[in-house]
Amino acid sequence: MSKSMQRGRSKAQEPRTFLVGLGRGAAGALLFGIPMLMTMELWELGFYMERHRLFLLLLANVPLLIFLADRVGFERTTTLMQACRDANIAYGLGVLMSAGILILFGDIKIGMPFSEIVGKIALQAVPASIGALLGRSQLGGSSDDQGDERSDVSNNGDAAARGDDEDAVPDKLSTSYAQELMLMAVGALFLSLNVAPTEEIVLISFKMTPWHALATMIISIGIMHAFVYVVAFKGTHEMPAGTPWWHAFFRFTLPGYVVSMSISFFVLWTFGRLDAVASTQALMFVIVLSFPGSIGAAAARLIL
Amino acid sequence: MTEISRRPHSERKDPHWVEWAVGIVSALLILTVMAWVGFEAITEEDQSPSFRTTIIGKNAIGSGVRVEFEIDNLSTRTAAAVVVRGEVRDGNTVVELAEATIDYVPAQSKSSGAIIFSTDPGEKAVWVRAVGYSDP
Repeated sequence: MSKSMQRGRSKAQEPRTFLVGLGRGAAGALLFGIPMLMTMELWELGFYMERHRLFLLLLANVPLLIFLADRVGFERTTTLMQACRDANIAYGLGVLMSAGILILFGDIKIGMPFSEIVGKIALQAVPASIGALLGRSQLGGSSDDQGDERSDVSNNGDAAARGDDEDAVPDKLSTSYAQELMLMAVGALFLSLNVAPTEEIVLISFKMTPWHALATMIISIGIMHAFVYVVAFKGTHEMPAGTPWWHAFFRFTLPGYVVSMSISFFVLWTFGRLDAVASTQALMFVIVLSFPGSIGAAAARLIL
Repeated sequence: MTEISRRPHSERKDPHWVEWAVGIVSALLILTVMAWVGFEAITEEDQSPSFRTTIIGKNAIGSGVRVEFEIDNLSTRTAAAVVVRGEVRDGNTVVELAEATIDYVPAQSKSSGAIIFSTDPGEKAVWVRAVGYSDP
């Protein structure tokens, strides 16, 4: 299949492809957003959380979405402009889906204060918009084009190259170091957002002694490393032969854990969980939240 | 052929020095956190929660007078469902009694809340203290 033929075909199919992309985005927003849309604490946070923190979260979501749109996205992007456009669409989808579902659940009703309605939707739109972009990579994994490429094993290099400019999820992920860390941040943010608002995070850390916390840290780091390097998942990262295991451990796993801790800290601060809490207690919260966060970070390296 | 072998590896054989620098800084950060938590683990004494309450504000609202308070947990153990009782006393007799429940007062941390009295205490003494809690 020549490139020009593909281009011609994709041009003719553009509106349909775009609509399919939108549909996948909406499905992704739903799939990834539903656990949070059905969490009571998040509804409550929607009206009581401090507005400047909510605003910061909404702003921080923008570069993450652009990065995700560029890397996975629900359709092919080649320029920054396109990535921005897709990120924008994903955010919009996130807002729409959140509003729709919250209305469906009767959580938003006519006569509620405007600020409460906006707060609830805005907060839910963050995970939903990430979900919209992830939906493409998770739901559209084997479109026709990609199916061709997958079967075309003998034509290795070519398939990878075409993957780069034909489908939204390229076979070849040009993972530079910064991007790899960013991917981990997205994964950590996504899983943290799921659990951070619940009371359980606070409760668990109150039940734990510092010994438990130490064990949690070691186990989190161990799981992160094992997820990526030991258990052979799809897209497993293999080290060049002869490289000692601790190379990857120092260069990827430990920074990944720090990324996950920073994201946990940011999310907990955003939800006001760290206010007036002693630093040791705050650290315990962060360690507890980093447990799912680090799993999310490791999974992101594999799944995305 | 496995799927793995079709995918290029992200790990290069000759990593940039920045990767090592980030790795070392991360290792130091994690070791610091572990040392901190480890220190807490070794030195922590098993104390029972002990509280100090302070009244930080009093203002009239529609249904009475709101007395805002802060409650400190001075110990290294967190208390849950802390019941704070407020009393308006005239000499030795309690004129009015009201309660508030605080979900958590974390170890060595502060929580705050308010008690609402239906009558203005005026010059009478207002007492606010914790009367009970549960272990989380």
